[in-house]
Amino acid sequence: MRLGSRIATIARREYLVRVRTRTFLFGTLLLVLGVVVIALLPVIISYVDRTEVTRVVVVAPTDELATTTATRLDRLLNAQSESGSTAPDQAPDFVVAVADDLASARAGVVDGTWSVALGVEQAADGELSFTLYSNDPSLDRTAQLAQQAVNAIAIADRLDRLGVAPADQASLFGPAELHVAWADPTRTDPVQDTTASVSQDMLAFGMTILIFMIIVMYGNWIAMSVVEEKSSRVMEVVLNAASPFDLLAGKVLGVGGVAFTQYGAVVIAGLGALALIDPVGSLVLGEDPSTLGLPSGLTPSLLVAFGIYGVLGFLLYASLYAAAGSLVSRSEDVTAAVMPMTLLSTGGYLIAIYAATGLLDIGSGWMTTLSLIPFFSPFMMLGQVAAGAAETWEVVVSVALLVVTILAAIWIAARIYAAGVLLYGQRPGARTVWRLLREGM
Amino acid sequence: MPLAIAGLRKRFGEVQALDGVSFEVRPGEVFGFLGANGAGKTTTMRIVLGLLRADEGTVSWQDRPTRSWPRRTWGYMPEERGLYLRMPVLEQLVYFAALYDVPRATARAAALEWLARFRIAEYADRRVETLSKGNQQKVQYIATVIHDPDVLLMDEPFSGLDPVNVALLKAAFLEMRDRGKTIVFSTHQLEQAEELCDSVAIIDHGRIVTAGETRDVKRSTGHQVVRVATGDGGDGGWLGRLPHVTVTRDGRDYIELQVDAGADPQTVLKAAMDRGEEVLRFEVADPSLEEVFVERVGAIDTEERTLAAAGEVAR
Repeated sequence: MRLGSRIATIARREYLVRVRTRTFLFGTLLLVLGVVVIALLPVIISYVDRTEVTRVVVVAPTDELATTTATRLDRLLNAQSESGSTAPDQAPDFVVAVADDLASARAGVVDGTWSVALGVEQAADGELSFTLYSNDPSLDRTAQLAQQAVNAIAIADRLDRLGVAPADQASLFGPAELHVAWADPTRTDPVQDTTASVSQDMLAFGMTILIFMIIVMYGNWIAMSVVEEKSSRVMEVVLNAASPFDLLAGKVLGVGGVAFTQYGAVVIAGLGALALIDPVGSLVLGEDPSTLGLPSGLTPSLLVAFGIYGVLGFLLYASLYAAAGSLVSRSEDVTAAVMPMTLLSTGGYLIAIYAATGLLDIGSGWMTTLSLIPFFSPFMMLGQVAAGAAETWEVVVSVALLVVTILAAIWIAARIYAAGVLLYGQRPGARTVWRLLREGM
Repeated sequence: MPLAIAGLRKRFGEVQALDGVSFEVRPGEVFGFLGANGAGKTTTMRIVLGLLRADEGTVSWQDRPTRSWPRRTWGYMPEERGLYLRMPVLEQLVYFAALYDVPRATARAAALEWLARFRIAEYADRRVETLSKGNQQKVQYIATVIHDPDVLLMDEPFSGLDPVNVALLKAAFLEMRDRGKTIVFSTHQLEQAEELCDSVAIIDHGRIVTAGETRDVKRSTGHQVVRVATGDGGDGGWLGRLPHVTVTRDGRDYIELQVDAGADPQTVLKAAMDRGEEVLRFEVADPSLEEVFVERVGAIDTEERTLAAAGEVAR
C-alpha cells in the first residue's frame, strides 16, 4: 500500500465530519465577523465619535467676552478631538453657542437642550475663572477637554491683555522638538518608532492568544474524539484496518486541517479587512483615508513566525492530547488526563501575556531562555520577536528544538496510544503509563 | 495450511488471561469458539488479529505469521459493536473499505448490494444512530466483510438479534463459507454453534478444554444420549434403575437418558422390549455441545453476561 494513504483516508474523514457541522460553520462565521470588526475598529470608532455632537453653551458677563471665549473654545475643542484638519463638509464634534442668562442655560443642560454649560467670570484684576455645569460632573469626558481648553483660553486672554498680537500667540504655542536616542554611544541601530513597536506588540499579543486558543480548543477536541471512538468501540473496527500510529497521525492532521481552515479564514478575513480599511473608511466617513491605514507592525516576518509557531505548537500538543485521550475510556475523565498539557500550555501562555502587558521584563535573560523551551516557545517567541528581544539564531534554535521535541512526542504518543486504545475501565496512573511506554502494547 | 494458534499466553497485571491456548482452524471452515465471559475469547481474537501482542506463543495463517498478511486479509467484528454514530451508513461503509484500500466505487457497489440483501437499502444515507439496534448490527456485519476478507473473526455475532435477523445473518455467514472464506466466531449460544460449526474449541480460564471437529467434540465425553418414548404415557421410572444410565430429562413426550461411556445404548431398547413396553420412539444420539460444555466446564453462565452488559451501560 502507498505509504500514508491510510493516514490520508483517516485525516480526510476527521476533517470532513467536523467541517460539515453547523457548529463549525457558525463558529467560523462568528470568528471572521469578530476579526473584521476588530480590524475595522478605527473606522468604526471615528464613525461613532463623529455622530456624537456635544453642544456647549457659554455664558459670560459681557457679550464680547462670551463671543471671544466661544470662538476660542470652538476651535480648541474641535481641534483636540480631531487629529486632522476639519473638512468643511463635516459636522464638528462640538457645537459652541452663547447665551445671556446662566439660569436658563443651566436649565437647558438639565432638559437636554445643551450637553454642558460653561460659565465665565472675570475678577477685578482681569483674571478669568470658569465653571462647568454638567448633568454628570464626575464622569463627563467634556470636563477633561474643557480643562485643557480653558487653560489655553485663560493664557490667551492674559496675552491679549499684555498686548501680544494673535499671530505671535500662534508661534508661542508652537511645539518643540524632542529626540530620543540610545544612552549607549556604541549602539547605532535605529530607535524603533514607538507607535510601530506598540502595534507590533499588540499583534504578537493577539497571535499568541490565537495560538493558545487553537492548541487548547483543538487539543481538547482531539482528546474528546479519541475517547468517543473508544467508548463507542468503533476503535476496534478501525484498528483492524489501520495501525494506532495511522489513527493518531490521521486524527492530528485531520483536526489540524480543521483548525487551520478556521484560523486561516480568520487571518485572511482580518488581512482583507485591513487592506480594505482605506476604501471602507472613505466610503463610510467621506474622509481623507490617510488618517487610518494599516497597522505598521504587521510585517511578513511576524506573519511567518505566527504560521510556524502555530503549526509546530499544534503538532506538539495535539499528539500529546491524543495520547492522553487514549488513556481514559469516559469523557468525564478527559479533563484529568489532559491536565499536564493544560498546565504546560497555560503556563507558557500566562508568562507570555505577563511579558506582553509589561508585568514581566520581556528582555530579561530568563525570559529568553524560557522562550527557547519547546513547550513554551509557541506562546512566548512571538512576543520576543515583536519586542526585538530575540536574535535570529535564538528563533532558529527554538524552532529546531521544537521539531526535535515534536518527533519525540509523536513517538511517545504513538506508543501510549497503541496501548491505551484497547485499555478499558481503569484510569491508569503514572506507573501504568511508564509501563505502557516501555512495553508498547 | 490452517490458521494455527500455538501456545498463546497473555497476562494483564494480576490476571493470566491466556494460559497456553492452542488450536487450529482449517481454511474454509466455520469454527466456533465457545466459552463463558472472561474465558479468553476476545483476547485470543485480538492476538490473532495483531491488535494485542501475546506474551508467548505464535499465530500463523498459511504458514506465515498473521501480522505479515495484509490487513485486508482479516475481517473483525468486535463484541462491543462500534460504528461512528453520527456518520451516514453508506459513507461509513465506504470509509471502512477505503481503510483497506478498496476503491470507492467498488466499495459503494458492494455496500449497496449488502444493504439491499439485508433489506436496509433505504437507510443508506441515514445516520447510524437513527437505526435500530438490529439494523446497526447488520451494518456492523457489512463493515466486517466489505473488503472481502479471507478470514472473518466475529465476537458474539448473534447476540442481541431477533430470530428473523439471526436467520438473515446465518444465511450471510454460510454464503461467506461457500465463497471459501474461513469464519471464526465466538458464542455462548451453543445451539447456534452446533448448527453452524464444522469445528469448535471450548475455552475456559485461558485454557482450551477441548477442540476439534464438532462431531468429535460431541463424542469426546464418551457418553451417548438415548431418547425413549413408550406407549400409554407409561411411567419411566424403571429406566433410571437400569445400569450405566442417568435420566437427564423426564418429559411427557419423551425421556432422555445419558448412557455412560462404554455402555451399549441398545441395552436400553432391549430392556424395554423385555418389559413388554410399547416403544414409540428410540433414538441414539451424540450429546449436544451444551451437554459437553456443562460436563467439561460447568454450567454456562448466561446470567453473568447480562449483568456485565448492564454494568457496561451504567458506567
